[in-house]
This record gives sequence, structure tokens and C-alpha cells, in this order.
Amino acid sequence: MTTPSNEQVAAQEQLHDQFNDVWGNPRGWKSLTIVNHTTIGIRFMLTGLGFFLFGGLLAMLVRTQLAIPGYDFLEPDVYNQVFTMHGTVMMFLFAVPMMEGLAVYLIPKMLGARDLVFPRLSALGYWCYLFGGLILCASLLLGIAPKAGWFMYTPLSSAVHTPGPNSDFWLIGITFVEISAVSAGVELVVSILRTRAEGMSLNKMPIYAWYILVMAMMIVVGFPPLILGSILLELERAVGLPFFEVARGGDPILWQHLFWLFGHPEVYIIFLPAAGIVSTLLPVFCQRPLVGYRWVVLAILTTGFISFGLWVHHMFTVGIPQLAQAFFSAASMLVAIPTGIQVFAWIATLWVGRPLYHVPMLWLVGFLVIFVCGGLTGVMLALVPFDWQVHDTHFVVAHMHYVLVGGMFFPLLAGIYYWLPHFSGRMPSVRLGKWGFWLVFIGFNLTFLIMHWTGLMGMPRRIYTYQSGLGWDLPNLISSIGSFIMAIGIATVLLDIVLHFRFGQKATNNPWNADTMEWSTHLPPSPYNFVSLAPVRTRHPLWELPDLEERIDRGEFALTVIDHGRRETLGIEPLTGKVREIIHLPGNSWWPFIASLFIAFTCLGLLSKFYWVALVASIVAVLVLLRWSWENGAHPLAAPDARVQPGEPPLHSRTCDGPGLWGMGVTLLANGALYLALLFGWFYLWTVSPNWLVPDDAVIDQRLLLASAVLLSIAVLWQRPVLRRLRQGQGEPAALITCFVGAALLGALHTGLLLWALLAGELAPRATAHDAVIVVMLVYSLAHGALATILSALQALRVHHGYVCKRTPYEPLVVEQFWQYSLAVMWITYCSVVLFPPTFGGV
Amino acid sequence: MQPLRSPYNPIHIPLGLVLWSIWFVVLYGGLSVGCALSPPDPIQGQWTWLNGLLALFSLFTMTALLGLARRFQRAARDEREGQPARFVARLAAGVNLIGAIATVFVALPTLSLPPCL
Amino acid sequence: MLWWAMCAFATLVLVVVTALWVHAMRRERPQMDAARARQLTLRWLVGGGLLLPTLSVLLLLLFGIPIGHRMLPLPLAGEQPMRIEVVGHQWWWEVRYPDSGVVTANQLHLPVGRPVDLDVSSADVIHSFWVPRLGGKIDMIPGRDNRIRLQADQAGTFRGQCSEFCGTQHTHMILDVQAHEEEDFARWLQARSEQQVSALPGPAGDVFAARCGQCHRVAGVSEGNRAPDLSDVGARSMLGAGVLSNEPGALLRWLQEHQRLKPGNAMPLHDDLDPDHLSTIADWLETLRP
Repeated sequence: MTTPSNEQVAAQEQLHDQFNDVWGNPRGWKSLTIVNHTTIGIRFMLTGLGFFLFGGLLAMLVRTQLAIPGYDFLEPDVYNQVFTMHGTVMMFLFAVPMMEGLAVYLIPKMLGARDLVFPRLSALGYWCYLFGGLILCASLLLGIAPKAGWFMYTPLSSAVHTPGPNSDFWLIGITFVEISAVSAGVELVVSILRTRAEGMSLNKMPIYAWYILVMAMMIVVGFPPLILGSILLELERAVGLPFFEVARGGDPILWQHLFWLFGHPEVYIIFLPAAGIVSTLLPVFCQRPLVGYRWVVLAILTTGFISFGLWVHHMFTVGIPQLAQAFFSAASMLVAIPTGIQVFAWIATLWVGRPLYHVPMLWLVGFLVIFVCGGLTGVMLALVPFDWQVHDTHFVVAHMHYVLVGGMFFPLLAGIYYWLPHFSGRMPSVRLGKWGFWLVFIGFNLTFLIMHWTGLMGMPRRIYTYQSGLGWDLPNLISSIGSFIMAIGIATVLLDIVLHFRFGQKATNNPWNADTMEWSTHLPPSPYNFVSLAPVRTRHPLWELPDLEERIDRGEFALTVIDHGRRETLGIEPLTGKVREIIHLPGNSWWPFIASLFIAFTCLGLLSKFYWVALVASIVAVLVLLRWSWENGAHPLAAPDARVQPGEPPLHSRTCDGPGLWGMGVTLLANGALYLALLFGWFYLWTVSPNWLVPDDAVIDQRLLLASAVLLSIAVLWQRPVLRRLRQGQGEPAALITCFVGAALLGALHTGLLLWALLAGELAPRATAHDAVIVVMLVYSLAHGALATILSALQALRVHHGYVCKRTPYEPLVVEQFWQYSLAVMWITYCSVVLFPPTFGGV
Repeated sequence: MQPLRSPYNPIHIPLGLVLWSIWFVVLYGGLSVGCALSPPDPIQGQWTWLNGLLALFSLFTMTALLGLARRFQRAARDEREGQPARFVARLAAGVNLIGAIATVFVALPTLSLPPCL
Repeated sequence: MLWWAMCAFATLVLVVVTALWVHAMRRERPQMDAARARQLTLRWLVGGGLLLPTLSVLLLLLFGIPIGHRMLPLPLAGEQPMRIEVVGHQWWWEVRYPDSGVVTANQLHLPVGRPVDLDVSSADVIHSFWVPRLGGKIDMIPGRDNRIRLQADQAGTFRGQCSEFCGTQHTHMILDVQAHEEEDFARWLQARSEQQVSALPGPAGDVFAARCGQCHRVAGVSEGNRAPDLSDVGARSMLGAGVLSNEPGALLRWLQEHQRLKPGNAMPLHDDLDPDHLSTIADWLETLRP
């Protein structure tokens, strides 16, 4: 290591200055335009902390009310709002966003990239989360919070039994927040697959990236069923379309299926990233690589998939046939095996390593004890006869807090202590940290261990008080005292974190001697992470190349020239890590904030039942989003000039592949999950709805539907030859414009025919669930047809402006995916609505 | 990018468990539709046409997944391919094997419980 | 029984895993080469991660599924179980004996030593029927009839409670379950089905017919069907589905203060009624027993 000369130092500083010019974060009002993942990640985590404290306060209110039998600290109606909000806030506004925020912060750094692949999407996600969360929490302050439990079972949550706006806040607010979750999910999947460092093949990826990849895919597939369910319930409440009401052909159990289809994967979406933290920290503190990398990857994948086959175990008392329940019981137990593999991989790593004792290790030991305990009670619950006794009692409450707090909160704190020097450049205190841990650990166990017993003694969930003399008095008092101890512990931890910003010791470059790339940035990191992008061909880059940070800083590696003013990172082949293109990224932008604001207005309009406001705001939101998408590719504000250094690969917008193609694909997966959930609802109601009402005659003109589907097919086929030539690098503007305008016209006709079929038919969506579902399916296809039409029209316009041509062939290929999806959905809807019913006794 | 049929295409990593998921949907959905359309007499216990059909379907799926696992395992041993490709094939083999085991495990109750009670 | 076995096993696993973790952290480290490390780790992964959970889970299912099967209301050879219908309301229980036509509320009388099939449903939201000391729970879902089979092996009083959050007063939806020996049960059923109630005379009786009787049914007196049947309310041990103990004067207290005792319950306030009438009605209700 030679001492750099003055010239070299000056050159290095100039390089960093150039990068700060392009990547720098503005201050003041303009900080609302920041799209950089480091800032967005920190914002997610800070906001998550805020909601955590709010949810924790609600928990304290619950425990206070339950401390003494017959206590009237809270009125029953208020109590019901408080416990509903506690669950809702913790699950939706803390657990998932916190983990996503950490992933958003860490993933590009660990993968050796400069940013995530859709920075404006991350920003949109954050603002949707913030606004949606604020709207939801405001409801409690106004006394109209949701009060039907965090899983909002119908008919209790429907308009008849909750006539006020309470449930609407949940349905609309949570859907708003879910935009944030799904968009982060899409972004993480594409980033992990396409923006890793050169040479970082799939098998050399840090294990945390595997965890986040699976978590993000689970979000993409697992959240849409709830989004659909929420939309359907809101339609039932606001417009009277019966999906869950028995009298008009619906079924309240449908809600349970849709909710738990989401709800079970949700808890693994929360657990997997936490396990990722454990798998990242443990090897560092054992000073050796994780044992059984391949085993752990298999375990992660298995957990991810199998968790989608467990949902009915939340419904064992509903009266579903025993054989079906046995399938879910078996699958629920099966999922313990990959978890066991991970636990033993950790133990093995400890066994053959040389453990060091730092504060994060304390939290990891706490995690092990509490989570394994929770997992074991979970296996017990998977057994149907046992569940019939303890379902809906405090035993379940105890179990879920063990797995959620043990499995998510403890690893989260281990991770926070571990990465705190990364966020701030300073080390936290050891003594305060230990005090905080022990108070939380003891307080937690005092609160929830005895709760298993309370539940076994028969105390149900969600009751606001209880009679004395049932044996529940002392356990509840102990639990309440424990909760106060835990609260003090959390306050201690918070104090430690807050104080360390001021008084913490300055951290060295790699204070824990870690192996992963995030520690090779500055602490705290510069907005561009790495001034030059290094190749990485090992799972432990910092252990094998300890001077990597210096070399990166000197500009030794790729993409150091930034005179074009573009933010760039490398795009790679997903399997081998071979560099394929340079991905240019958008800089600071107002669009995400503005779009989110108008979506918020839409939600407020819906909640206050000023539907004109909602309509106008939603149209403006769509216009904003379209305007945002206009600033892409060769647009002057994006990358008009495709100049690259000699030897560098082309810009992605000048190739036929790029993050947008993948992003569209993954988003369509989420969209598909939503549509499949809708299809499930359709077939479910046909099969088991208790009072299924089928009309005597056809309610919709089947020929119109067929014609509409055929038109859409023609639109797709019309584009194929032109797009094929575009892929080969051919296509004059005139031909392209003709193609896109033609597609748009055909799309408009298709959409028009659908609209005609909807309006001219005999549909009575308020009278029967049958018609209501058909209406939803047709409106879904209508929306897709309209959007496809608009997108193609915009493409034609872009060709006219010169942003799309044979040298920039990329965007039409992304839009093509959307057309193909819409086509598939249209035909499936046609078959399900027209061809299927006659075979099952309908028309 | 490898063609879809190549055993080294990373899409095969999740594909085995996607097949398992489809099997699961058909299993649960098939049971529900079967019980709604023509529920067998409870006296028969678990020896009904519905149980038999579901068990056969599961056997078929398990065999298919095992076959795929073997194919990927053999591809993983090919010394001519690079490390990343062999890693993918090994993972895919593992995933398909797990899918096969999960199929058997979850389908076992078809042999011991009546279908529609 | 099953619970204790599972609890013991679970505690064992927890202790062992924790011990392993802590031991792994603290032990003296012998020098280890890569090959030995690999062998050890493979043993951990397969033995601990794969075999231990798999065997445990198989064992659990092997025992658990048959236990669940036995709890089902399968067709019986020989004497059929007695059928009782229970319908959940916000926040009270409607109990009907279809064979004898007896209807009551918030209490369930059972014979000892005989299986009883309870067909449960709901008139509004999802409730759940649970008598912890007699068996598991089953959800009461509008539009569906679920069946649970219970059998009391000894005479006595058992507490049942709603076990699915059903709104503001989910907390106060208690079911009083009494199991009687066969002869006592038969006697109760007969007394109830032959119960004759004479209407309350005078202006209080008119008030009852015009107000209370619109919702409440009293055998032979009024035919309301939106609220608990009151034909034997005097003999019940609890009022308001578990809110008040039915001592002398409790009925009057309930009539006067019910919104304070069970806020949000569906009965309207009676503050506009003449207190003397209320008192008369309460006294009369106390006499209603089989």
C-alpha cells in the first residue's frame, strides 16, 4: 500500500466531486425529490420506527385494560379499535416496510451496485407508505378506526355490521400502503437479478440477497390476493356489490380464503429477511463463512413456496372437510423442516467458527430461543385437534408474538446494532445496549410465556375484560407488568441509538471485520456508493481483498467517467454475472411525490365519499404517472446521448433488454396473482357458495365479448412482425408509427366493445354475487384494454419525437408484454364467464 | 441466456416448486369440486374414487418431479459446464426433489381419511 | 393428554437447541481442517436440520390425525345422537331442541353419557361455539350449518363462550351449559315443553305486549323472534349472556341499566317507561320457570 501522491489525491477528490454533482442529494424542499436508495431506505426505516412506537403504545393500552378483571380504562368500542389498530399497524406499517427499508438500503451496496434499478419507483413506494400510514392512523385519532380485528372478517366488517367509515380506512389505507410493498418487491427482484457486480454469479451472491430475492417474489405473488379482497369488500361496502354476503349469493368464507392466502405468506415475508440478517451476521461474528450455503438457499426457496400452501390452518374451525384440513396440517408441519435446516446451519457455523461476543450476538441468541419456542408451538397448532382447543385463545396470541417478535424483532435489532456504524459512522454503546437487550428479553418472556397458559385456561382473544375467578387474573397481571418492562427496554434501546449519533465512538472502515461489500463504502455512505464498480467473484469479497475499498476509491474499476451527467450502474446477465449493458438511472424527480399525493387525494375522496374528488384525483394521478413514464430512454431528461467509453457495453435503452422489461414482467406476475385470486373467487363461489344465485338467461351478450376478444387478438398479432423486425435492428419511423397507431385503434375498439357489452347487458351486480364478479372481471379487462391503447398511442408519439426508433428499440418491447398479458386474461375471462357456466348448471 | 429447455437455465430453480404449487391447487380444488358434485358415501371411509383419483394424481406428480430431479442432478455433474451453471442445476435438482417429497407428504392423508366430512 | 406430550417434547427440543447453540459458542476450539469441518457440518445439517424435524413431524401427524378423526360427527351405528340447534346472534345464544320444540336462550342443557350433535349457525356475523371443558370449537357462520359432537361424561355446570370476535360485546357472550343425568334431563325437557305461562295482567302486561313482546318470545304470551326467548328466564343462572348473576332484583337492574352493563347491546333503553311497570314486569319475569 503506497502513500498516494498529492496529484493522485487531488484527482481522487475531483472524481468524487464529479460524482457528487450528479448523485448529490438536495436539501430543503427539494429533498422531496430524492430517489437515491440510501435515503429512501433510511426514510422507510425511520417511518417504520415511528409506526412501531405508535403500535407499541396501542399495545400498552391493551395490556393496561387487561391487567385487572372488570377494568374500565377503555370503553369496549375504543378497545376494539385499539387492538385492531395495534395488529394492523404492526403488521402492515412496521414489520414489512422496516424489512423492505433495510433491504432497499443494503442490497445495492452488498451487490456492488450504485442504486436500485427503478429509483423513482422506490420513492413512490415510500410516499405511498407514508401517506397511507398517516391516513390509517388518523382514523384512530378521529375515533373512527377499523374495529373488526386486523383480519377484518366479514360479515362483521361489512357495511351492515360496521356502518361507519371504520372498515373503509382499513381497506383503502392498507391498499394504498400495499402499492409501496409490491413496488419495492418488484424493484428488489429485478435489482438482484440484473444489477449485481461483474462476475457475481448466482452462486456467489451474498446469502442475504437470496433471502431478499425470495421475500420480494413472495410479496409480488402474495400481496395481490389481499389487494383483490380489499377491493371487493370496499365495492361491497360502498356500492353494494355482494361478494361476501350470503343472501345475495356471496360467502363470508371467501374473504377468509383471500385474506389468509396473503396472510400466511406474509408472516414468512416478515421472517425470511430477518433470517437473512442472522445468516449475514453470524458468519461475521464467527469469523468464517456460513455453513451449508447451498442447503440454506434450498431451505429459503422451500420455505417461500410451501408457505403458500398453509393458509387454511388459520381456518381449521370453519368446518372445512377433514381431508382438506389434513393437507394443510401436513404442509404446515413440512415447513418446519427448512426452518430447522437453517437453525442447524447456524449452529454448525457457530460450532466450527470462533464466536465473538458483541451486542448484536446477544440479540441473536435471544432470537434463537424465542423463535424456536414459537416455531414449536406453531407445529403444535398445526395439529387440527389441538387447534380446535386453542384457536382464537391467548395461546395463539402468545405463539404469534413469539414467532414475530423472536423471529423478526430480535434479528432486526441485531441488524440495527450491526449496521448502525454504517448508517452513522459511529459505534453504539455496549453497556446501554446490554441493558436494553436484557430488559426487552425478560419483559417479553414475562409478558408472553405465561400467556400460553392463559390461553390453555380458555381465555379467548379480543375480549376487553374478563370475570374474576376464572384463574385468568394473575396471569394477565403478570403479562401486563412484563409488557411495561419490555417497553422500558425498548426505550433504553432507543436512547442508545439516539445518543450514539452524538456520543458514539467514530467507527473504523470495517468495524466488525465483515466479508460483504456494503462495508467497502464510506461510513456513512456517499450517495453513489462506489465511485468505481469492482468485479466480485467470491462470496466474501472483503475477506479476500481487504484493500478493496481503497482501490474502489481510487477509481481503479469500471464506470468512472461521468461527464455525461448520467447516473449509471452495470447491468449483468442473471446467471453468470457477465456485463451486458450500462443501466442509466433517473436522478431526483418530483413525479413520485406528486403522483403519491394525488393517489392520497383519491383515497381521501373515497373515504369521505366525495366521489367526484376521488375521480378527478385518480385521473390526475394516472396523467402524472404517464408523464413520469415519458421521461425515459432517449428523452432529453434521461439519456439522450448514448455515448459510452471505449470497451464499455451499450446503454440499456439502446438494446432489446433492460430492467424495464424485467420490471414489467414481474409486475405482470403480481397482476396475474390478482387476476388468479379473482378467478379463484369465481370458481369458489360456483362450487361452495351457500346460496349461489344463477340467472335464468345469459346476462351478457356473448357475441360482443367474443368480438372484443378477437379484436384484441388481432391487435397483438398486428404488432408482432414489426416488433420482430425491431428486435433485429430494423424499422423505419413511418412503419413504427403505423404499427402503434393501428394497435391503439384496435385496442380502443376492443375496449369500446367491452364497455358496450357491460352497459347493454342485463347485469345486475347489486342483486347477485354472480353478476358482481362478472362485472369486476369485465372492468378489469376494460382497464387493461384502455391502458394498452394509451401506451401504444404514447409509443407512436415517442417515435414521432425520435425517442423510439430502431436504435432505441427497447420501449415497445416492454409495452408488448402488457398487450400479451391483457390478451391472455381476456380469453381466460371469456372461457370462465361464457364457456364454463353451462357445464356447471348455469347459462 | 440459456434456452428454456437447457437444464442450466435459472428458471428451473423455482420451476419444480411451481409445479408442486399447481399440484396443490388441483388437489385442494379437485377435492372441493368432487365433494360439491358427487360426494362419496361416508360409509366407504377413505376407499373412494375421489381419494383414489387424488392419490394417483399425486403419484404421477411425484414421479414427474423425481424424474426432473434426476435430469438436473445428472446435468450438474457435467464437468464441461461452468460453476454457475452447475450450481443452478444442483439447486434445480434439490428443488425438484423437495417438491417430490412435499407431494408425497401432503398427499398421504388421502390414504387414511374420508374425503368430504 | 396430547398437549402434555407435545409440551414435553417441545420443551426438550427448545432446551436442546438452545444448549447446542450456547455450547457451540463457548466451547474450546480444537484445530480443524476443511475436510473435518465439512464432515461435521454435513452431520449437523442432515441430522439436526433434516432428520430431527422430519421425524418429529411424522410422529405428530401419525398420532394427531386419528385423534382429530375420532372427534368428528361421523355416522353412528345404533342409537343416533340427540340433535340440538344453536344459532349465534350479536351477542346472545339461541338454543333449540327440534325433537321437542323447546326453545331457550343463553343456556344449554345436555344429558350425561350420550353423544349430542350440535348444529350451529349464525343469524348475523361469524361467531364460534366453544365449551372448553367439553370439546373443541366450531365456527358459527351465516348461511352454513356446522356440526360438532359433544358428550358430557359427568353432571355439572360448564362455561361456554363465543370464540370468534363478533363485535363490541363479544366479551359478554357466555353460554351456561348444564349437564344432567338422564332422568333429570328428561324431566327438564318435559317441564319446559309443557310449560304454561299466563300473561301478565293489567297495564304492565299491556306494556309488555306492546314493547318487550315485539322482540322477545314467551311461550303462550308473545311471539317476538329478534331477541332471546324469555320463557324460562327466571330459572337461568346468568342474565345478559353472562353479564349479571340472576339473583333477586337482577332482572330489574338489567332492565334499568343494561346499556351501562353491556354497552351497545341491541335492546333499546327503557327510560321512558313507568318505573312501576318495569318493576312489575321484572317480578313477573322472575316467576317464569319450567
